[in-house]
Amino acid sequence: MAPRQGRYQPAREFHVVVLGAGGVGKSCLTAQFVHNEWIESYDPTIEDSYRAQVAVDGRQVVLEILDTAGTEQFVAMRDLYMKTGQGFLLVFSITSASSLTELAGLRDEIIRIKDDENVPIVICGNKADLEDQRCVPRTKGFSISQRWGAPYYEASARTKTNVDEVFIDLCRQMLRKDDAGEGYLEEDKEYDPYSISYYKKKRKQRRSDRDRDPHRPKCVIL
Amino acid sequence: MTPPTTPNGSQEDLIALSNVQRPVFHNFLRAFYPFHPNYAMGDSTVTLPLSEGDVVLVHSIHTNGWADGTLLVSGARGWLPTNYCEAYDPDEMRNLLKALLNFWDLLRSTSTNDRDIFGNQEFMKGIIAGVRFLLERTHCLTRESPTIQRNESLRRGRKSLLSELSALVKTAKRLQETLRGFPRREEDVNDTIDEMILKAFKIIVKGVRFLDLLEEDRRQRAPPAVTVMATVVEESYIPPTPPAESNGVEQGQGDREDAGIRGAEEVRRAESVASHHISADGVQTSTAANKRLSSIYSRTNTTGHPTSQLSPSHGNRLSASISHRVSLAGPSPLSHPQNLVSERLNSSHDTFLSYLGSFIGRLHLQSQSRADLALAIKQSATSGGELFAVVDTVCRHNSLGSESLDQARAAMYDRIRDLVYSARDILSNVGPDADDVIMPQDNSCLLMAATGCVKAAGECVAKTKWVIERIGDFEFESENGNLGIDLALFEKVSESRPTTPEQKIVTDPKPAGPSPTPVSKSMHLSMDKPLPEVPGDDEFPEQQDSEQHSPPASRPQSLVIDDATSSMASSVSSIRPILPPLPKLTTSLLLDDSYSPTTEDSHDSEYQNSYRADTMTASSTGTNSTYLSRDSESSLVSQTSTRATTPDHALGPKYQPSLSELSATGSSAGTEEVDDVESKLLEKTFAHELMFNKEGQVTGGSLPALVERLTTHESTPDAVFVSAFYLTFRLFCTPTKLAETLIDRFDYVGEAPHVANPVRLRVYNVMKGWLESHWRESTDHEAIPIIQHFAEVKLSSLLPSAGKRLLELAHRVSSSDGSLVPRLVSSMGKTNTSISQYVPADTPLPNPIMSKSQHHLLSNWKAGGSMPSVLDFEPLEVARQLTLKQMIIFCSILPEELLGSQWMKKGGADSPNVKAMSGLSTDLSNLVADTILQYPEVKKRAAVIKQWIKVAYQCLELNNYDGLMAIICSLNSSIISRLRKTWDIVSPRRKEMLKSLQAIVEPSQNNKVLRARLQGHVPPCLPFLGMFLTDLTFVDIGNPATKQLPGASSEDHGLTVVNFDKHSRTAKIIGELQRFQIRYRLTEVPELQEWMQAQIVRLKESDQGNVQVSYYRKSLLLEPREQALRTAVEPTTVNNHNNQKADLFGWMSRDRGHGNTVVPL
Repeated sequence: MAPRQGRYQPAREFHVVVLGAGGVGKSCLTAQFVHNEWIESYDPTIEDSYRAQVAVDGRQVVLEILDTAGTEQFVAMRDLYMKTGQGFLLVFSITSASSLTELAGLRDEIIRIKDDENVPIVICGNKADLEDQRCVPRTKGFSISQRWGAPYYEASARTKTNVDEVFIDLCRQMLRKDDAGEGYLEEDKEYDPYSISYYKKKRKQRRSDRDRDPHRPKCVIL
Repeated sequence: MTPPTTPNGSQEDLIALSNVQRPVFHNFLRAFYPFHPNYAMGDSTVTLPLSEGDVVLVHSIHTNGWADGTLLVSGARGWLPTNYCEAYDPDEMRNLLKALLNFWDLLRSTSTNDRDIFGNQEFMKGIIAGVRFLLERTHCLTRESPTIQRNESLRRGRKSLLSELSALVKTAKRLQETLRGFPRREEDVNDTIDEMILKAFKIIVKGVRFLDLLEEDRRQRAPPAVTVMATVVEESYIPPTPPAESNGVEQGQGDREDAGIRGAEEVRRAESVASHHISADGVQTSTAANKRLSSIYSRTNTTGHPTSQLSPSHGNRLSASISHRVSLAGPSPLSHPQNLVSERLNSSHDTFLSYLGSFIGRLHLQSQSRADLALAIKQSATSGGELFAVVDTVCRHNSLGSESLDQARAAMYDRIRDLVYSARDILSNVGPDADDVIMPQDNSCLLMAATGCVKAAGECVAKTKWVIERIGDFEFESENGNLGIDLALFEKVSESRPTTPEQKIVTDPKPAGPSPTPVSKSMHLSMDKPLPEVPGDDEFPEQQDSEQHSPPASRPQSLVIDDATSSMASSVSSIRPILPPLPKLTTSLLLDDSYSPTTEDSHDSEYQNSYRADTMTASSTGTNSTYLSRDSESSLVSQTSTRATTPDHALGPKYQPSLSELSATGSSAGTEEVDDVESKLLEKTFAHELMFNKEGQVTGGSLPALVERLTTHESTPDAVFVSAFYLTFRLFCTPTKLAETLIDRFDYVGEAPHVANPVRLRVYNVMKGWLESHWRESTDHEAIPIIQHFAEVKLSSLLPSAGKRLLELAHRVSSSDGSLVPRLVSSMGKTNTSISQYVPADTPLPNPIMSKSQHHLLSNWKAGGSMPSVLDFEPLEVARQLTLKQMIIFCSILPEELLGSQWMKKGGADSPNVKAMSGLSTDLSNLVADTILQYPEVKKRAAVIKQWIKVAYQCLELNNYDGLMAIICSLNSSIISRLRKTWDIVSPRRKEMLKSLQAIVEPSQNNKVLRARLQGHVPPCLPFLGMFLTDLTFVDIGNPATKQLPGASSEDHGLTVVNFDKHSRTAKIIGELQRFQIRYRLTEVPELQEWMQAQIVRLKESDQGNVQVSYYRKSLLLEPREQALRTAVEPTTVNNHNNQKADLFGWMSRDRGHGNTVVPL
């Protein structure tokens, strides 16, 4: 994890890792998100090709996106990439059921590597514009979303639908986690990281927080 | 009491609209007013004087509306007010203007090698194609075209345009010679380049002039009876440039007179021209903004409606909607909504009404003191004046419905005057010693006057809003409209004449130029400089030729207003005497009056006489002034300029060549060259379908245009372009299509005899190169029949031996699989590079570091003994053998495996070597993990870790980043890094070493560290393949396949062309990869290679499932999760179990507890 920055730091920096099987168009999502439309041609070889600044609920956040598109076959490197991430965007294609299946393994890996079950994750069903080729029903996305406690979006890089939204949701989760992390030490007296009941309680609390937050879409369907 | 209803919402809509509209940066502006900065003569001034019709190349536009531009007519650079200008981008000129931009960028660029660019005539093609396009679009391509035959002035215009072009071509050839010459003087080159820029400018000026003449011609030939047509024609009428040949318009008139004599046929033709013209207009006016901008003034129109199409507010709107190429940060002074005229109108109206309202209210109370009355009148009159001033501004910006607005304005003025008069009468009738109270009968009189004011103001405001809606909202700077007339003054003035709201808006009628300080300073100051007020319509024509005050137009009802206007006008014109003599302004107005055949003759002779001197002037402009010096690019001061050089301070009007000079230079070019250029123009070309970046590299183009570029006759084609084309063409066209296009090129070049042969040879060479070294039988075989047919029929008849050779090649590629020449030779990255360059072939190979016992271990293993461990060998030797093994695969990666994200598709079937490379990396990582985890003893594990750290370090020493990456990834993975007890034994020194190695492969900031290391790295070096793959993926998906050509090649919308930039980038990345495809000079140790291979095979056989999961289990078994000792410092790392053994796989089973439904999706 990157060093935690002070609470009053104007722009926080988070590392986001985009994961998913090859061919689900995850890199299209990334490119769409970081690509400045005004730039005539996109050069991915420069230093800040994958940096983007977003405002989330009035807070400035700098996102550094790690998308190792094209290197899916380098399985062993995934561990290294995952280690650097604070938030994860798990992308599958609604036109490919197997791409969703692969996410389960990726999520296991993330949780194992981060050693944290509440690591910020957003599930994203890409290629939502190809409704006629849909292989993954929405309900499937819903149920996984509920099981994993991670919001589910259906997005389309091609039509630029929900692209920013998935990243902003992830930002929101990371910010909340960051804030809560600071809060633990100061406020949470009954903190005991090894008690299961504590975590259940904490998760419940998180859920109810989410429900109270009107800006937080749990599942977004086009 | 209530004011009449006014149209609501209109201005809000307008504001919303203008916010939504994307600001457009116009590369060219055309002045529709002359602009003479009042202190233009100061040595340090950078303000450009403008003549009406001048075309300006814009470098940047400041948010305050001042633009940094270069005047094409003189090459002078400086600041100019955009509200004096309109965007200039007529369809016919578009390609030429675009070509000029490319030309300018190229010639100004210091980043490119002169020899590369100017070594051939390639860079000239855009301009030539632009001129060709202009003539083609105007149906004047050949001398014999009816339009040219008919109209003498057009013929001249065309000729002078062509002679300018030929002058430029000539200069370009001279530059080529200068570059070849030895010793070559840098100044000579720069001088020539400067000269060329000036010449290119002149071509544009001539082109503009030609188009103007044509418009004039069309306009005059259009039947005036059809009103609709007339307005269309009128709208498209473009003001003439400062005429190079002053006889143009008269000629057109003479032509018109002739038309009557020539009879019916001529009329018919005229009609057809007119109707053609309408369709052209349809194109031109396709967008609303365009229409507005192109519907400039028509001072010479016959309706007698002065400047009816001209709306000076366009200038304002233009500047408001213009943005800088590079967006300027910071709030724009233009965007203050309170300065918007609609806002001002509303607020002043409100103020006026509130004063009148309270005044009327008090009148109803029947009692009012004298002082009260005077105060109320004063307030009302003042606020009325403010409102009046706003309305007046709108009037001056407006030219559309000025009549009704003028009436309303006059009516409002009358009412206010009435009110003031009545008040004055009442006040003066009452003696100073009389009662302080105003009589009731006076009240009714005042009441009437006041309500009249309310009504008139309401009407006037409504009309003004209507006008604003049409001309667009604009901003204006004004002082507070408050006149500050105190009662005494009011009384005093009332003796002689009515107080009136006096013109206060134009507080500074002098066009205030940016401060005459050097650019760096003026840049800053000009932030606050308002644009000069655009000259009003009324006085404008009169100012044209006279230095006199324009006579105030007599309009009885608004005498005072007119006074004010005229005083403003006079103050404008009073600046003029200070100005230096400017190039003679010849407006169409003047032309109409002063035409006589004799002037024409005398002009002509004058041109001839002054020719020599004139060319000298022109060239001295180029040589003496620094503004065109290419060196000045580095001393770039202006922050806002994109292609900025410092405007030259010494560049006053004195350097501005007079117009006659310009034309003289043009017409002086010999007829021969003109003919030469004409023949060049008649060549069929697709040059206008190419797009370039500022370095002159092709970034886009249609297939015919790209093929033309590939087969250019004037020079050897650019090697980078050619290799990128060969590598990527299958991504944007089929092999059949390429063959056909090449043959087409072979055919159409036949129309231009003098270049036909070299081009045909090039076509043959491209095909030969394709077949010889870039052939891919699997996809390209479909083109074989076409190529064979071409070789047999067309090529053989013209170039028999070439035809034979091509047939031979075609036969060979279809019989053998794959290309004829070993692929590595054709790889683009390695042109001129070979191993010998980096490691001389005669350097002795390093001896393997293998001890006898190590050899023994290996042979023992081969004989069936136990397998040696990694610990048994020297780290350096392991790293060497590993590197050799990896490099063999890396070197066999073919460029086509890397195209179009192929390695990701079909399980990587079409990219076997990429797949093998990533497979080997993964195997290596697994091997590292496996060898560590195979020992139950902590100490042994630590020893293996140490060993691998050393191997990784040796990989780095060998510049094997792929191996380094694989080993570090494994050591750093959670599987290994969580083995705390093991790591505790690893020495701090090794840990430090690992840390520094980690820092190199750290993926953050887009592999910043790794990229920096690879930059300019000398082979042998094995870079991390994954980085190239990611880059290629993002180039592929982040850049569209096609682009829109901005020019107007196919009617009004741009042509869709290949985004060659994308392919160039792809080729560049592949070229970079190929640069490293050079073997290491190391000795292979076969036994060790076998051992490594056996290790990998062992790994693959032992584990079929998810290797990472099984390794993690192993890791957990070796060193179970620690409990309680973790402190609260790491609250986020969860460990939610007490019974470690039971919960060993808790991380996996946790979410499956909800039901075993994760997998079946």
